[in-house]
Amino acid sequence: MLARQGLGLLRKPWASTMKFPTTRLLAARSLTTIKASHDQEQELLVAQRKNRPTSPHLSIYQPQLTWILSSFHRITGVGLAAGFYALTCSYAATSLLGIQFDGATIAGVFASLPFVVKLGAKFVAAYPFAFHLFNGIRHLVWDLGQQLTIKGVYTTGYIVLGATGLLGTYLAFF
Amino acid sequence: MFRSILRQTRALNGFTNGSRSLATAAASKPAPRLKTFKIYRWNPDTPEVEPKMQSYDIDLNECGPMVLDAILKIKNEQDATLTFRRSCREGICGSCAMNIGGRNTLACLCRIETDTSKETKIYPLPHMFVVRDLVPDLTHFYKQYKSIQPYLQRDTHPADGRENLQSIEDRAKLDGLYECILCACCSTSCPSYWWNQQEYLGPAVLMQAYRWLIDSRDQASGIRKEMLQNSMSLYRCHTIMNCARTCPKGLNPGRAIAEIKKQLAFD
Amino acid sequence: MISLVTRPTLTGASRSGAALLIRGIKTIPQPPGYIVGTVNDAYVPPKPHKAEGSYHWTSERIAAFALAPLTLAPLVGGTSTILDSTLSTILLYHCYTGFQSCITDYIPKRVYGSYHNYANYLLIFGTGVAGYGLYKIETSEDGGVTGIIKKTWNA
Repeated sequence: MLARQGLGLLRKPWASTMKFPTTRLLAARSLTTIKASHDQEQELLVAQRKNRPTSPHLSIYQPQLTWILSSFHRITGVGLAAGFYALTCSYAATSLLGIQFDGATIAGVFASLPFVVKLGAKFVAAYPFAFHLFNGIRHLVWDLGQQLTIKGVYTTGYIVLGATGLLGTYLAFF
Repeated sequence: MFRSILRQTRALNGFTNGSRSLATAAASKPAPRLKTFKIYRWNPDTPEVEPKMQSYDIDLNECGPMVLDAILKIKNEQDATLTFRRSCREGICGSCAMNIGGRNTLACLCRIETDTSKETKIYPLPHMFVVRDLVPDLTHFYKQYKSIQPYLQRDTHPADGRENLQSIEDRAKLDGLYECILCACCSTSCPSYWWNQQEYLGPAVLMQAYRWLIDSRDQASGIRKEMLQNSMSLYRCHTIMNCARTCPKGLNPGRAIAEIKKQLAFD
Repeated sequence: MISLVTRPTLTGASRSGAALLIRGIKTIPQPPGYIVGTVNDAYVPPKPHKAEGSYHWTSERIAAFALAPLTLAPLVGGTSTILDSTLSTILLYHCYTGFQSCITDYIPKRVYGSYHNYANYLLIFGTGVAGYGLYKIETSEDGGVTGIIKKTWNA
């Protein structure tokens, strides 16, 4: 099959040169080359590099458990850390400004919220917390050089997702 | 005249012959299985034109099983301007590395998905500067490879003045590392490499750094380790593991990097 | 071929990545194709700095190793001021290195120059304030940070 295509392709240019040898010669003559020094070539290369677009990346890459869980890990980490900083920083600010603010204040405000909002807030806190905790342990196992095969990465990934579901649900509802 | 009649009778009798014309073969051909390939195009001669996706239809009955067969067929028969790198067509040169169906692999080792209802999208390796169409600029990647000094370095010469000997166990440590063909599939699958490729070395180069670190014959491990002692070269690796997931040779750069980190931990 | 030089050059290098995400911030133009020197020169890595290299990594891991049981302890059983102070202090360091890692990843110095430094100064200031708040919580609040979370959670 492939050999047949190859033959077919070979035949065409051969036939055309047999029929019109002059056109080939003319085509060869119209090609002009410019002699350039090394520096000129380098300049040209740099000029071309400036034009080059970056190929698409995040938007076209196949969703895979590897990088999806990794991005969750970073997002949940930043979210939880922001929460921790918000709590401690507002504690510092209010104590410096002499405003009444402590655990009882936060608990009081939270208690006054409607049930749905409270449950929603617990969801938003509990699942990222559980995920970051378990995936963090997964990362520590990796840092010891364990489970660093594709099979290990996927097995531990699903274990983390399962454990997150259990602990997150437990914390949010009970 | 007589010969052409003979040829036709042969074709009808079901003889296969190298010189058989395609027209006569069409009579007994099964229904075409048209598969759409959408391929990333960008032409450096018209840099002001934004990159675009161009569709090509290929009859899978007329095409080899691999994606490289399909793009070669497109280049041969439909669009000679389609540009890509290829050489060995058997997964040992690493030239045809590209992003096929969302993951980085070698076009020559990647089977065409036979489901003709789905189109296959082909992009150059992600987050690289595009020279043209599917050809990325790997210059910086190679410069990074050069920076880890990928060659044997020794201060002393072997006692017999001939060979640097190595035990079977020490040699076995290099298995799974030396097979790398530097196709750049892993490095360009790594989000950390996407964001910081100027300074982060990336999985492929770091795996080779590890390959020379653990070579029992090499005596430059001190300098090799010191080169990685900064926030960018090695420690931008966050164990995402896209590298091992995508490697067309089935290697595991992620594990090699973890081993380097372990070696350096109390260094 | 030569005619390419006269073409208006597009800003290919600056088109990439997060550089365009934040408008109004002046970023440092990168070498075309990220290539410094000729194709035959090896890439030159940053100067060795163990405090930013292995020491940093190891301290991060030790903190994370300590955090895992400390975080699980209040969930399983009770807690004490000592336990809560230890947990919160290590957690603060963990958060600090996490944010620092984000800054190194997404606001790299080679692109954002002094903005990278400002981000780090802001982080250090924020961590200082958070540390003071933490001290206040541990000295005045019953049950510390975990106590506040428990109270709120059960409210």
